Amino acid sequence: MAPIRAYHRPASIEDALALVAHTDVDATILAGGTVINGLPDVDPIDVVDLQALGLDELEPDGDRLRIGAMVRLSDLAESDVVPALLRDLARREAPNTLRNAATVGGTVAAAEAESELLAGLLAFDATVSIAHSIGSDSIPLGELLADRSRLGLGIITGVTVGVGGDAAAERTGRTPADRPIVMAVGRRAEDGQLLLALTGVDRTPVLVDPGDIAGVQPMADFRGSAEYRTELARVLTSRVMARLGEDV
Amino acid sequence: MKITITLNGIERTFACEPHESLKTVLRREGYYSVRFGSETGETGAGALLVDGRLISAEVLLAAQADGHAVDTVEGLSPGRGLDPIQEAFIVTGAIQSGYSTPAMILAAKALLERNPDPSEEEVRDMLTGILDRETGYLRPVLAILRAAAVLRGEEVPPVEPWLVGALTGPEVEGPVDLTSPLADVPAGAPLVIPSPEVPETNVVGKPERKVDAIKLAKGLPAFTDDFELRGMLYAKMLYSPHAHARIVGIDDSRARALPGVHAVLHHENTPRVRYASGGQSYPNPLPYDQVSFDNKVRFVGDRVAVVAADSIEIAEEAVGLIDVTYEVLPAVFDELEAITGDAPVIHDEEDMEGAYDAARNIVHHMEAEVGDVEAGFTSADRVFEETFRVHQVQQCPIEPHIAIAYLDSDERLVLRTSTQVPFHVRRMVAPLLGLPVKQIRVIKPRIGGGFGAKQEMLIEDVVGHLALATGRPVRLELTRAEEFMSSRTRHPQTITYKTGVNNDGIVVSQSMRIVGNTGAYGTHALTVQQVSGLRGLSSYNSPNKRFDCDVAYTNIPVPGAYRGYGAPQALFALESHMEDVALELGMDPLEFRRLNWTKVGDPLDIATSLGEGASDIEVMPVVTSSGLEECVAQGKRAIGWHRRGDQAWAAPPDRPHIRRGIGFAMCMHGTAIPGLDMGAASIKINDDGSFNLLIGATDLGTGADTVLAQMAAEVLGVPLEDIVVYAADTDMTPFDVGAYASSTTYVSGMAVKKAAEEARRQITERAALMLDLDSAGEVDLADRKAFAADGRWVGLDEVALHSLHQDQQHQIMATASYVSPESPPPYAAQFAEVEVDIETGQVTVNALVMAVDCGVPINPLTSAGQVEGGMIQALGYGHCEEMVYDEAGRMINPRFGPYKIYRADEMPRIEAYLVQTMEKSGPFGAKAIAEIPKDGVAPAIRNAIGNATGAWIDQIPFTPERVWRALRSK
Repeated sequence: MAPIRAYHRPASIEDALALVAHTDVDATILAGGTVINGLPDVDPIDVVDLQALGLDELEPDGDRLRIGAMVRLSDLAESDVVPALLRDLARREAPNTLRNAATVGGTVAAAEAESELLAGLLAFDATVSIAHSIGSDSIPLGELLADRSRLGLGIITGVTVGVGGDAAAERTGRTPADRPIVMAVGRRAEDGQLLLALTGVDRTPVLVDPGDIAGVQPMADFRGSAEYRTELARVLTSRVMARLGEDV
Repeated sequence: MKITITLNGIERTFACEPHESLKTVLRREGYYSVRFGSETGETGAGALLVDGRLISAEVLLAAQADGHAVDTVEGLSPGRGLDPIQEAFIVTGAIQSGYSTPAMILAAKALLERNPDPSEEEVRDMLTGILDRETGYLRPVLAILRAAAVLRGEEVPPVEPWLVGALTGPEVEGPVDLTSPLADVPAGAPLVIPSPEVPETNVVGKPERKVDAIKLAKGLPAFTDDFELRGMLYAKMLYSPHAHARIVGIDDSRARALPGVHAVLHHENTPRVRYASGGQSYPNPLPYDQVSFDNKVRFVGDRVAVVAADSIEIAEEAVGLIDVTYEVLPAVFDELEAITGDAPVIHDEEDMEGAYDAARNIVHHMEAEVGDVEAGFTSADRVFEETFRVHQVQQCPIEPHIAIAYLDSDERLVLRTSTQVPFHVRRMVAPLLGLPVKQIRVIKPRIGGGFGAKQEMLIEDVVGHLALATGRPVRLELTRAEEFMSSRTRHPQTITYKTGVNNDGIVVSQSMRIVGNTGAYGTHALTVQQVSGLRGLSSYNSPNKRFDCDVAYTNIPVPGAYRGYGAPQALFALESHMEDVALELGMDPLEFRRLNWTKVGDPLDIATSLGEGASDIEVMPVVTSSGLEECVAQGKRAIGWHRRGDQAWAAPPDRPHIRRGIGFAMCMHGTAIPGLDMGAASIKINDDGSFNLLIGATDLGTGADTVLAQMAAEVLGVPLEDIVVYAADTDMTPFDVGAYASSTTYVSGMAVKKAAEEARRQITERAALMLDLDSAGEVDLADRKAFAADGRWVGLDEVALHSLHQDQQHQIMATASYVSPESPPPYAAQFAEVEVDIETGQVTVNALVMAVDCGVPINPLTSAGQVEGGMIQALGYGHCEEMVYDEAGRMINPRFGPYKIYRADEMPRIEAYLVQTMEKSGPFGAKAIAEIPKDGVAPAIRNAIGNATGAWIDQIPFTPERVWRALRSK
């Protein structure tokens, strides 16, 4: 359990931003808590719980869907307005108990390297809304994953994705429910735009050009060497493309 | 700060700190059903409902719950009585240790409130957050589906054994059809193939409710940590960050100065008393290579110091203030490298006793031979030699090691501890603490899983030292990371088999060489490797056999006892090797094994030169019962063995990347340690004709208390509920070696049976007196009554009152102990069906079937549970579990997730068949069942992968890249 000195539950986003910006304390955003609360040996922090800010709505908007940052992964997994593949990835992202607490915003902030849901969000052309004290901002998810400093002292308020079109995911893990060693998810929007995202080939899930799979440079770990991951990227991408009816 | 929650329907306000989890706060308020499994929340042992959703309270701050509704299992059935979900869990046999049962029951409640008719898939998804090491999730899923039916108002049949007709044996005429699986079997019914030799019984052989079911289903205080003493201190260990180093200096002054710190112990202030921590009989096997705190560390996670403080947070802070100066030494991790003579010497201390050659890191060297293997190889038509490697995995009990020590009002030291070996702990801890045994009491409460990790005197010396140093109660609980790194594991080994065989398929010579890796300390090093040799050379007949083994010290976290105890390692190698030999000979792998496997009357020759207790064996043991043929037939039918020849099945045209295969492994295990394992029991009658049964035996969730009580009830002619069990308290119960070596049913059970028979004799004498009979011999006990031959009877309650109060007063009671001269082996046939993705190497296990001859299963429900759960643990061993290290010897995956154990939504089909044989030396015909389910899964999967793909892999686990490389190189 992280050494937490003080707990705040602000009633407005402005109050939350003020707490985060306060230079005297090391304030960390608390969404579901499934990551923060399990951390050992970190320096003492204050936590700012966002549960009272009403950021837990799913708002369809034409061919986009806005997902509030505090929408739980279990709600994402069960809602009809969410594209079917993203529902499946949300369900796979964590076991039931942790899914019921973990949030979409928290998942984006944690930026776990092997997150299937983040890969899915990338493939669905996600942008992240960030509230700052001076206004709000919207940046593509891939840019935030590549450079966390883009978050600054802001707070993620939501993620917006495209809906419609076709999508497919393929993965290899040790067991059926294991976090994949490499996973490929592709989505072709109704306007024909195709996005492919992979886990397990970079520091975070990343968008990859399907024509340049051989260019990935994965890091090795005990679950897969670089050579093996590269081969999985190739195989899983071609399976995803085949399911989407695309030539590679 | 304060939080206000609606707890089980009532608004409550609690004081708490901002950093405290909801679990911590609720436990402090006495809600012990909310348990600890890991600090990162994956185990779900602390799962509860927040606003009706199942959430892991380990990773939820109490502050986050402020203003919400919280439900724990205590709210389900206040007062006496059970809720339908709890009842369903009990009758299906879904409760083993019960540690995570409250979480599962809450999961069921949450699901059924939203959806009264869930699919199996929905039930399994609901359980994904609750990790279970014991049941394979089979019975919990059935329990929830059953509860759903009950709550919908439907009739549910009782859960009873389903009798399956034999497929082999003299009563079976003509060929049998093995291509059609059993149909219409009621869900959850244990599958029993009865033997005509087994007599009818009333309580034995029945799926009785476990005697501890109520407390486990209701989450009542039952486990070590469900206990609080005023003034209790919290201990925290300082562990080594280095794999091999001398402790050159320890400065504890800053730690001692921290307010709230009561003691800091390390090698400079703790007596240096030699011991071996393995929980084994006196005299413990050598080497005695441990001391409570040493001036050297030998693996990342080794003990350096311990702090006791007013709170766990202060203790953690104090641990960080202990300044240690290390002289870092080079380390070695691989067993083959460690014994070359060039490796760093791990035990170079002068006062160590009993290593074979410490300068070469060889703890033990063993040899055993029957006949002359070299002559055998020379005479054989063909000789095959193969080497296999098995790796390091951890037992992962969901309840980690935990112990509480305190001085009672007689100033005797009491150790309340999650242990499989209370009597060994008492004897072994005494010299370390400088106390005589008579000043120590060890109590074993319910245990949340052990699997051998708790066959150890692991942390009891630490809490004992601290309780004596501070005069206060002291509690130490390992974190999950510490449970991985600083408790015990399985022994990795490199195993080489060489087999000489004639062209007709008869094995004429077989040698087995093992280099075992016992890590930094030699606990269980001798005996695990001995069992590997014993099991590795007993399954098959051969006139010439040799075992030779070196056990190496290395700087890895410490292997110890783990269910199977050397057999899973040996049988992976043996059953893979025999498969390969069969294929080289062009023989069917089952037929080749059948030609050579041991049958009734065959000698267990290697047992006289190898194995614990071997020197006590005077007469050559022979196999006295074997249901192996029936096991094989049942297993072949259940797995669909006939599909192996079907190309359309093996290479499905609609799934071009998939190959399917089925594999087999033959399993044989031991039953207790002959001449060594002893158990004792005491029984006395109460005024109402019920009995107290006092046993030293150690139920770690296996159902041992229940099984032993069933035996007593059978002898005394009473229902199970008339036996009140109290166990595993060194002051109150007779001796028992404890729960290991699959000994409890067979050895402790025989002690119970004998004690009950003596009590029965006394009852019949009293009844004869009361009924004015000439002889007690004609009195029969049944149905709580003592019957004369002429039909007159007295009730046992009358017998009790008469004997306790009225005439020739005498307490009807008896004590008996038992040690067995023999170890009749259980046999099993293990089958696995897999599919392999030949482009990625991913292996998916679709089905596991084990048919086991354990003699007579005393409780078919608990026996089935042992097989189902054991197979899934074994599945992890072969398929996906591994302890992984960086170059400095630090474990990089001490967490569930990266260390992968199976969860509820990815399970293969699992089936257990209980094939009865009448083992005359066992109580009511019983043999053992606890460990054999661990032995065959890894080789059966290996052989299935080979059958599917032609890639024969000699190393576990079968992780995707390993399989991918094997496919590319074949």
